[in-house]
Amino acid sequence: MSTDGKPRSLANTETFPCVRCGLTVAAVAPDGARRNHCPSCLHSLHLRDECRSRMLPISIAVLRTGEWMVIHRCTRCGELTSNPICGDDNQLILMRMAVRPLAQPPFPLEAFGDL
Amino acid sequence: MICDMPRRNPGRERPQRRKELFHADAFRCVGCRLDVPMLAPGTAHRNHCPNCLTSLHVDHRIPGDRRAECRGRMTALSVSVRGDGEWLIIHSCQSCGGLSANRIAGDDNALALLRIAMRPLSDTRLPVSALLAL
Repeated sequence: MSTDGKPRSLANTETFPCVRCGLTVAAVAPDGARRNHCPSCLHSLHLRDECRSRMLPISIAVLRTGEWMVIHRCTRCGELTSNPICGDDNQLILMRMAVRPLAQPPFPLEAFGDL
Repeated sequence: MICDMPRRNPGRERPQRRKELFHADAFRCVGCRLDVPMLAPGTAHRNHCPNCLTSLHVDHRIPGDRRAECRGRMTALSVSVRGDGEWLIIHSCQSCGGLSANRIAGDDNALALLRIAMRPLSDTRLPVSALLAL
């Protein structure tokens, strides 16, 4: 039995389909945290205010604590949210988002080579 | 005259006049106290300090609407890239936790921008090993 009174096997079998890639995702991550985005494509669903639209991952933020956050933007209402990453999130997509600003710099990066 | 007189409190007979702060041609940064001219190269709305990238939570949804009542300090959290290659700064409000995305201006501090963009990559945690494995 888990702490909320449900049998552990029942509490952990809840799933949701990803709105983008269709992957059936366990609602609870292996580390026990509740998921809010697909671990494969990192897309999310906007649950606030009955919007229920797709949310795109647009950026990676690193908090002072060293924790990584995914910034999502709702495709319908444009609201931004930040959510902590999960241990089994797709590292390739996380890395791609992290290096994207440096791949398209608005100023030449050569000047920073000396620093 | 000024120091001798007790402060008269008229008991709120008349509310203070609302100051037209944002129609001025300059503002003072809440982060580094730099006096920043509103005129910015490459954008019609300057919404953050070009030196330290700090902003103030004044806009609600539309840039320039001034409908947010929070007025907290917003610090630069991360950098995002739009489809056309333009950089956006993600600001997070220190007071209410709200997020907003703002285009960078032509005179923004390149070193400060780059430091934020490098933050995930300079982290010594697990995801960097994924990059090295490519």
